[in-house]
Amino acid sequence: MDLLLNEQQRMLQSTIQDLLRRDFTKETLVSIDAGTVDVEQGWPALASTGLLGSLVPEEHGGVGGSFSDAGVLFEELGRGPVPGAHFSSGVFASLVLRGCGSDEQQAAHLPAIASGDEVSAVAVTEPEYGWERGDVQLVAERTSNGYTLSGVKLHVPDATQATHLLVAARTSGENVGLFIVPVDAPGVACRTLRGLSTGLGEVRLDRVAVGEDALLGGASDSWDAFERAMLEATAVLSAYQVGGLESVFQMCLEYSRTRRQFQQPIGRFQRVQDHIIDIVNHLDAARWTTYEALWKLDTGRPAESGVHMAAALASEGYYLACNAAHDVHAGVGIVREYGLTLHTRMSRTLYHHLGSPRYHRRRLAGALGL
Amino acid sequence: MDFELEWTPEQDAFRKEARAWIEANAPNIPDHPDPANLTREEYELQREFGRRLGAKGWLYPTMPAEYGGGGLSMELAMALEEELDRYNMPLPPYYDTGGKLGGVAILVWGTEEQKAHFLPMILRGEIRTWQLLTEPESGSDLASVRTTAIRDGDEYVVNGTKIFVGSSHGAEYSWMIVVTDPDAPRHENLGWLMMPMDLPGITVEQMDLLFVGGERGAASGIKNTVYFDNVRVPAFNLVGGEGNGWKVAGTHLEIEHGLLRSAVRDDPLTERVFDYARNAKRGSRPLLDDQDVRDRLVDFYIDAEVTRLLHFRNYAWRGQGRQLTYEGAQAYLYQKRGQLSKARAVLDVMGPQALVEAPDDWAVAGGHVEVHQRGAIVDQHPGGTAEIQRVIIARRLGIGREVREEPGRLR
Repeated sequence: MDLLLNEQQRMLQSTIQDLLRRDFTKETLVSIDAGTVDVEQGWPALASTGLLGSLVPEEHGGVGGSFSDAGVLFEELGRGPVPGAHFSSGVFASLVLRGCGSDEQQAAHLPAIASGDEVSAVAVTEPEYGWERGDVQLVAERTSNGYTLSGVKLHVPDATQATHLLVAARTSGENVGLFIVPVDAPGVACRTLRGLSTGLGEVRLDRVAVGEDALLGGASDSWDAFERAMLEATAVLSAYQVGGLESVFQMCLEYSRTRRQFQQPIGRFQRVQDHIIDIVNHLDAARWTTYEALWKLDTGRPAESGVHMAAALASEGYYLACNAAHDVHAGVGIVREYGLTLHTRMSRTLYHHLGSPRYHRRRLAGALGL
Repeated sequence: MDFELEWTPEQDAFRKEARAWIEANAPNIPDHPDPANLTREEYELQREFGRRLGAKGWLYPTMPAEYGGGGLSMELAMALEEELDRYNMPLPPYYDTGGKLGGVAILVWGTEEQKAHFLPMILRGEIRTWQLLTEPESGSDLASVRTTAIRDGDEYVVNGTKIFVGSSHGAEYSWMIVVTDPDAPRHENLGWLMMPMDLPGITVEQMDLLFVGGERGAASGIKNTVYFDNVRVPAFNLVGGEGNGWKVAGTHLEIEHGLLRSAVRDDPLTERVFDYARNAKRGSRPLLDDQDVRDRLVDFYIDAEVTRLLHFRNYAWRGQGRQLTYEGAQAYLYQKRGQLSKARAVLDVMGPQALVEAPDDWAVAGGHVEVHQRGAIVDQHPGGTAEIQRVIIARRLGIGREVREEPGRLR
């Protein structure tokens, strides 16, 4: 019942803090956001820390760390927020491969994901957006020696950075299988969507032919295993949002002391204080539910309700904290180089990723036996 | 990071000992959703049990053994609380502000003679104490109290009025902040007194309020107005010295602002509300078919869970001796606001049936639900309003200020 990081986790934390200080300064992150620096430029530095293999088993070249360890790493990345495929590939795709892939498929891809040589993006959602089984409508048509995939996947994170896609598709009726598809396969086209979201893309599959060995686990339906991997990934994503919340809180605290209006620091005004107190409450609600959810996953306890609760609070909290931070900062907050909008964009981008707060709340009701 | 204690064999042995002892000694007192219904006889049974706990040092298990506490670790205290919880009893098993609030102030600020005199009778359960802070003109601005205690030889002469005091069934002692020097500057004009409640000139009068709650069996049930008319109290009873009353108060206020909750259990209301929802129907269809109802129940659950986790964090960290700053007020704020939003969620889900008082066939969960509807409103104000908690959080975080406010002394 210590509620503290252990020695090893403090080391992981300082590794990522060093990385942020060296390779992902606020100036760099602002330049990536402005499009003057390519997000992929930071990939070798990210890969060199070993964090992409945090959840990959040791026999496949990873660290085989706990979910709480991954939470520590991604909380620090969220502080930036450092964009890129570290979560999509290192966490989400790794867990999907672990949960759904055959031994051969895991051996073929996990080591390269852990080293950063291979970047996998998980392509599940479609124009009729959602994270339930029934939301997957793209069809995999059986051929003599495999499948043909046709359709559109939408709001896929980091698709243009990926070397491989893990595509969810209907194999028959309600059955949903997952296919591993190299992005250079004929008929695959990826582009990043422009707008307030960051890193989300469109993937068009035009009669993409894949072999039988592309089907994860050789299973015509792996949705249940996929949902379990998604649940695990969600807890790590919440930790990333907690890091973002922490940064937003620190920015506001600092600004409340240094910005003066009416001859005093603006933080002396209780209306300004209330915004910042709301932020720290969102932060701590998200933080402690997330830590408890990660602990439940690590110790084999039933974790569904804990993960869904943490995800709802982290997504809503990050979103609302950014709103409050804009109230605190007014005009300064929307200046790109100040850095707050990095979080604002990220909070919107992640709001629906791996399920909206509404999805998680409804899942929570189910997990509670309601 | 671990969210659960790993019990050692020694700790398990202690738990077994505690369980057997409690089974042999615990009184059987019926559950009163409204604690105002606690009878005198039941209260006497609680006190008798408290004295037996106190004789073992178990009434205030983490207080120093030399003064009558148990000198136990946080872990053993938790085991003890969990075992008492099986009998639906908290520690102490009745309303008493002596051992967790006033007693800590005496421990931090009292002279050796004062500690030796007051602490054993508090910690052994020989006396129960009330706290006398709020006055008709001093609520959130507590330092503006007007009750005077003017030195006259070896005594102080006390005059004034305190409100929202104590509980049903009286108290042997109270502790209070008073003005000892009406001419001194704010915060330097106060003293902190231990007041025997049987002195001539003290009148206790019950207030007529919407509801008064508290933690289960330790709920206060009612609140009183206490009048002091030329009450003469020995000067020995002033703790911390003249002019230091605000600092002494800083100790128990620090605890009251969100560090009082024990770590023991989830909010029992959650299961009561879920039970209702699982069995209720509307228009011959299960209530749980209504998506709005499901959403409101989840809102309810999340409010309860976050409150539990923030208190749990504070309990664990305080047990480790870590210095908390804004966390107590944060948990308290969340608890207060959570009560209101939970009450609304329950009203949405149950409709007006949530407002029916027991005993009545239509009362939900034996009346606990209706009591919560009232309690949620009443809980907003004691121990500092939600707004006061926000003020504390802001000062402790250092919003708009480089120098953060120091917490009250706990040792």
